[in-house]
Amino acid sequence: MDFSWSDSQKELLDGVTRFASRHLNEVLIENERNHVFNQAGWKKCGQFGIQGLPVPAEYGGLGADALTTVGALERLGYACKDNGLIFSLNAHLWTVVMPLVTAGTEAQKRKYLPGLCSGTLIGANAMSEPNSGSDAFSLSTTVRKKGSKYVLNGSKIFVTNGPIADLFAVYCTMDKSKGPSGVCGFLVDRNTPGLIIARKLEKMGLRTSPMAEVFFENCEVPVENLLGGEGGGSFLFSRSMTWERGCILASAIGSMQRILETCIRYANTRRQFGQPIGKFQHVSGKIVDMKLRLETARLLLYHGAWLRSKGKSAFLEASLAKLHISDCWVKTCEDAIQIHGGYGYMVEYEIERELRDALGSKLYSGTSEIQRNLIASLLGL
Amino acid sequence: MIQSLVIIEHDGQRVMRGSLSAITLAHQLGGSYALLVIGNGIAAVAESARAFGAASVFVIDDLGLLEPLADRYATIIAEVAQRIGASNIVGTSSTYTKDILPRVAALLDAAMLSDVTAVEIKDGVTLCQRPICAGSQVATVKIEGNVRVLTARSTAFAVPSLNCQTCPVEQIPVDAASLPNGTQFISREQRTSTRPDVTEARVVVAGGRPLKDRETFERLIGGLADALGGAIGATRAAVDAGLASNDCQIGQTGKTVAPELYIAVGVSGAVQHAAGIKDSKIIVAINRDPEAAIFQMATYGLVGDLYEIIPRLMAAVRS
Amino acid sequence: MKILVSFKRVSDAASQDGGQFVINPFDEIAIEEALRIRERGEAAEIVGMTIGTSVVDEQVRAALAMGLDRAIRVDDSRALDPYAVARIFLAVVRQERPQVVILGKQAVDDDANQVGQMLAGLLNWPQATFVSKVEFLNGNQRVRCTRETDRGLEVIVVNLPAVITTDLRLNEPRYVSLPGLMKARRHPIEVLSCAQLGVGVQPRTTIVSTRPAARRSGGVRVESVQDLVARLRQQEKVL
Repeated sequence: MDFSWSDSQKELLDGVTRFASRHLNEVLIENERNHVFNQAGWKKCGQFGIQGLPVPAEYGGLGADALTTVGALERLGYACKDNGLIFSLNAHLWTVVMPLVTAGTEAQKRKYLPGLCSGTLIGANAMSEPNSGSDAFSLSTTVRKKGSKYVLNGSKIFVTNGPIADLFAVYCTMDKSKGPSGVCGFLVDRNTPGLIIARKLEKMGLRTSPMAEVFFENCEVPVENLLGGEGGGSFLFSRSMTWERGCILASAIGSMQRILETCIRYANTRRQFGQPIGKFQHVSGKIVDMKLRLETARLLLYHGAWLRSKGKSAFLEASLAKLHISDCWVKTCEDAIQIHGGYGYMVEYEIERELRDALGSKLYSGTSEIQRNLIASLLGL
Repeated sequence: MIQSLVIIEHDGQRVMRGSLSAITLAHQLGGSYALLVIGNGIAAVAESARAFGAASVFVIDDLGLLEPLADRYATIIAEVAQRIGASNIVGTSSTYTKDILPRVAALLDAAMLSDVTAVEIKDGVTLCQRPICAGSQVATVKIEGNVRVLTARSTAFAVPSLNCQTCPVEQIPVDAASLPNGTQFISREQRTSTRPDVTEARVVVAGGRPLKDRETFERLIGGLADALGGAIGATRAAVDAGLASNDCQIGQTGKTVAPELYIAVGVSGAVQHAAGIKDSKIIVAINRDPEAAIFQMATYGLVGDLYEIIPRLMAAVRS
Repeated sequence: MKILVSFKRVSDAASQDGGQFVINPFDEIAIEEALRIRERGEAAEIVGMTIGTSVVDEQVRAALAMGLDRAIRVDDSRALDPYAVARIFLAVVRQERPQVVILGKQAVDDDANQVGQMLAGLLNWPQATFVSKVEFLNGNQRVRCTRETDRGLEVIVVNLPAVITTDLRLNEPRYVSLPGLMKARRHPIEVLSCAQLGVGVQPRTTIVSTRPAARRSGGVRVESVQDLVARLRQQEKVL
């Protein structure tokens, strides 16, 4: 098995690392404390090409395959410490950009993809509701046809990028009694009357990624904004989810790499009891386990992405990757705090923030419990 | 036979003190040296240059040379150097010499070394030391050729003292019409300041990006400088942000200073800035961030809020 | 109008281990300015030039990715100095016949700040150095430049053809974008030898040795303004 990157992939990946370390590393502590979204950083990413990675070139993207895309996102996670910005980028990519690429009409693609790729348009996903999280298709936001428009009513919660988005991918139901087959997806422009972006939600981590509640009050959406056909919403959502699960934690691998290197540096320089603490087995053992987790998580990520790149299904692999990477990321962040002792608990060392950011990964894109259920059913249980 | 031709810089009124450092370099290169002053209406400037031990002060005074246009000045300097048979053309590192002397070197098929901090002639070979890599390294460089162009880092060569012997002033006529005509001077920002030149001042107060705006910069940095009779300086970030003008910029791509007292206010101490201040006698750093790199090179460091500290410092020095 | 812009591969000052290389920041600014001139419709072709072995192709592709039309690398493995570089560039200028040559004012490794001026002298072209603003006039016959000097900002107008060297505040270079990088891979790089250019020049300055500069060490932390003033007054006697 040849695990090496091609020369052109290497150049691209190195380009991402250089770009991110040079342009996406403003001082973060203050901004994170104040929930400040890196608007300038978002635009830079757009100009650089992050938002367009998996989008065909004819719509303003790079047309990179899944493997190259996750490789680039891994490097982004490595070189950019702003996990919140990366989370916003991921939400944009997997909940709006990819669904457009896979299921959008030609008109929709031409209208929205160039702006979504270049950094001028920000996408947000409106799926979860106060009463439907894991049980996604039990959603209650309704839609009915009214002439040449569809009318949406309901409320959405946990809308990442809500406060700043230009375009929302909204899932609603035409007939709740039909369950999944009644669900439809829509693209809704921000300034559509009836779309109300309500209160901002304050999170434990990923605080530089803005999130809001969004309400729909007789929000009228033109027919051409239906995404994926009437009743096609659940299929669209599930397919998007596979992409999302397979890719959203690619940057976590990069973060874990960075954290590992930080811990090794610290263990070699911090001295107690007359020697570097890395000589103590309790410390070195934790770092070894970090490395082990990093490599297994990385392999799972790449295997799924490789299958995708070959046009093969990667439903199981995506779920395995999502479940395992999130567990590894959280554990690695916990251990990083432990290795740094008291300093690990201090805000100015930026280690405790990594754990707060990582914990969300066991919840979004399907909780770890949901992943286990999915994998179990795929194993025939 | 004159060994070195020293280019003296002036502003029309007086000699730029730093450019006299080149005389010390010429002295170290050995042999006799002549000074060259170019401009218009510069009789007084030339006169003031007579007592520095030169064999002669050459003056080229013409309306067409009022402004230091590189194509004209380089042509003249090359001609004079050839006429007197000088082996070295020497100046002090400044934007003036950086603009003009490499062009002179090209006209004389000579190589050039800038920002020289020490020179040694060993077995007939000229070896110069100069900073590289933003001043983090010192290179010893051999320079070859019959003619060599060198500029001295002013902080490394003392300004020579006047000696009682004065040398003759020799006017060299020039046919301005024969000079290159491809450059037209339009304007220069007129900045009148009662403050000393930052490269000559005994005290320099420099400000960084944390100063809020231009008014604040002038009030605090300018105010402290005035209380101390000093000059103001700025980091690149401060100039980029419009807090100070470009001629205040100190560092790798700005000016190099070595005052007795350098007070760095809200300056992080990035290596590019440090390159311009490391030869200062005393460095005082005032910064909110105890981890700022500047504290690793400052003689005295005070951690705190500059908005509280500077007014108190101003009051304390005045009392 | 054709613009020739030069760039040099230097160590990345920002990288911690020193193993990374980038385009000299001043040269990036030069390339960016050339691109903006073309985007304004004032130039038709931008050609880049550099000197070095094939390791430099990493930077050549980055420069192409920014948007150069063509790139030339003069293959030379020697340690060169501004004297030699200017004469090699002279040969490229004679081959390419641009109306403007734009260079970064200095390379951040040697900090020499000479090549542009030497090249202008060899060509007998006017020069505008350390520019912070560039404006073409009279249908590209002349160019008005603002220069950053020790005495403040100065404005001159030079006739074309001319040599321009860029200072820091001229512009903010664009990122090498990913699509640009991918497109650049398909661009051929023209590799020339000094022999092909008809130039046989030896450097006239040689680095004999280098050593780390003496570092100042940090001194004393004072706790108050009074303490500081007392020390400066009584101990150091600088006040």
